[in-house]
Amino acid sequence: MKIAQEIRAGNVIMVGDVPMVVLKADFSKSGRNASVVKMKLRNLLSTGGTETVYRADEKFDMVQLERKDVTYSYFAEPSYVFMDAEFNQFEVDKENMGDALNYLEDGMACEVTLYEGRTISVEIPQTIVREIIYTEPAVRGDTSGKVLKPAKLATGYEIPVPLFCATGDKIEIDTRTGEYRSRTKG
Amino acid sequence: MAVVHSIPKTWDIFCKVVDNFGDAGVCWRLARILHREHGLPVRLWIDDLATLRALHPALDAAAQRQQVDGITVCRWQDATPLPDDAAVVVEAFGCGLPEAYVTAMAAGTRPPLWIVLEYLSAESWVDEHHGLSSPHPRLPLPRYFFFPGFTSATGGLLREAELQSRRAAFDAAVRQAFWRDMGLTDIAENTLAVSLFAYNDAPIAGLLAVMAQDAKPVLVAVPGDTLLPAVRSFFGVAADDCGPWRRGALEVRALPFLPQARYDELLWACDLNFVRGEDSFVRAQWAARPLVWQPYRQDDGAHQRKLQAYLNRYCAEQAPAASAALCEFWRCWNGAPKGLGAAWPALRAAQGEIRLHAGRWARDLASHADMAGQLVGFVANRVK
Repeated sequence: MKIAQEIRAGNVIMVGDVPMVVLKADFSKSGRNASVVKMKLRNLLSTGGTETVYRADEKFDMVQLERKDVTYSYFAEPSYVFMDAEFNQFEVDKENMGDALNYLEDGMACEVTLYEGRTISVEIPQTIVREIIYTEPAVRGDTSGKVLKPAKLATGYEIPVPLFCATGDKIEIDTRTGEYRSRTKG
Repeated sequence: MAVVHSIPKTWDIFCKVVDNFGDAGVCWRLARILHREHGLPVRLWIDDLATLRALHPALDAAAQRQQVDGITVCRWQDATPLPDDAAVVVEAFGCGLPEAYVTAMAAGTRPPLWIVLEYLSAESWVDEHHGLSSPHPRLPLPRYFFFPGFTSATGGLLREAELQSRRAAFDAAVRQAFWRDMGLTDIAENTLAVSLFAYNDAPIAGLLAVMAQDAKPVLVAVPGDTLLPAVRSFFGVAADDCGPWRRGALEVRALPFLPQARYDELLWACDLNFVRGEDSFVRAQWAARPLVWQPYRQDDGAHQRKLQAYLNRYCAEQAPAASAALCEFWRCWNGAPKGLGAAWPALRAAQGEIRLHAGRWARDLASHADMAGQLVGFVANRVK
């Protein structure tokens, strides 16, 4: 059990009989040494979001979620199917895939999160390397990285990259922000 | 557009008096407005009837349950059996509801709407917190946070419907009668009348010292006895000396602790009002007179942020010189008392503009819906 002011983004709390992942928690001093915490929550079961406010000393039951290392296997409408080392399959609904869809490729190492045996989300590595399948021709000379152009990945997702990047280049991406980090060798 | 449903009938307001008069003052005022102006049956559960009695002397501080001005006032103790028939429960200032009561609320076929009434603050985060839901972590209880405030995005301020007409009727003759009732019959025309209500850590001696050096007479009326030890200490008189006390331009008079309605009149009668906390702070703004606020002192200096947030709003439309004088005096009053000597003459010099601004500010605030009305609407929109 934790009190509201100890709860951080990423924690999962129970509100009634619903597990809610905390996306954001803002602490504010109210009056006479009291405080409140505003939380942005996402329902882990339905993915619906809500904003709430609690007294800082409100007590919550915490949810310990089970996590599994898996690799992406295939898509079978309406779910994405992942497999662990023992060939157990885990299905994640399309609407719970989030930004992972932008970078997903066969055999990609991921981590699925389970709540009461049900797969509720998938996390991909914070940093990944992907090939640019198309971008406007590279511009020689500008190595500042300040001027950006769109580059398409195999998933169809486009991210801004510096002008010197070319089709066929492999780039490192921060999946938390969706931002280009660097061009990799080879 | 939200559908407005009928207003629920029974409202329970829960109030614990932590210290001072603010808890009881705000809850009693809210209860009265809900009953008088919205026709709601209200029960006020309060753990300290003696404090409430100071604000409304018609109360019997020993009664377990009584009907006063149409409100059922109940003594609230840990063992008090609580009814479970309320449609709306207002938990004032995070006073906490008994666990058994909360469980009973959840067990009912139609749980009441639970409102957590929060403290007043001018900070911008209040706009984003007001009205948010706060679903109980373990029980199926609808609960919402309600924040009073100074913008239309907040729950507003408590204001009785007849307040402005009462204030308008307080003309020179009534003012004179008020002072007479307070035992003051000889106030010179050019006197600066000041009411002084503050926490006992306020720099009283520093303030009185600069007032004593004013070019014009300054009359300071001190309601209640909280500040009297500091006043007596300044004048070097015995603890049983009841005044009046004089030094230089300054005269200080001790007044009895005034009930809410009478305290409004004191604010209207004065040219400058020192106020504190929440309830007197709001009333001083409705008085449309220059004010100096002392917020409740908090750990880690949170009160200073609240003070600055209010000044940012209050002074936004004020002439720069007057704004600077006011801000500097408030800053000195709230933690830098050595500066009072320079800040007082500057405040006095800007007094005309500050008074005009106080009137504009009160009119602007009055253009927002009042807090009790907003609360009734808020509830009506959430109860099916």
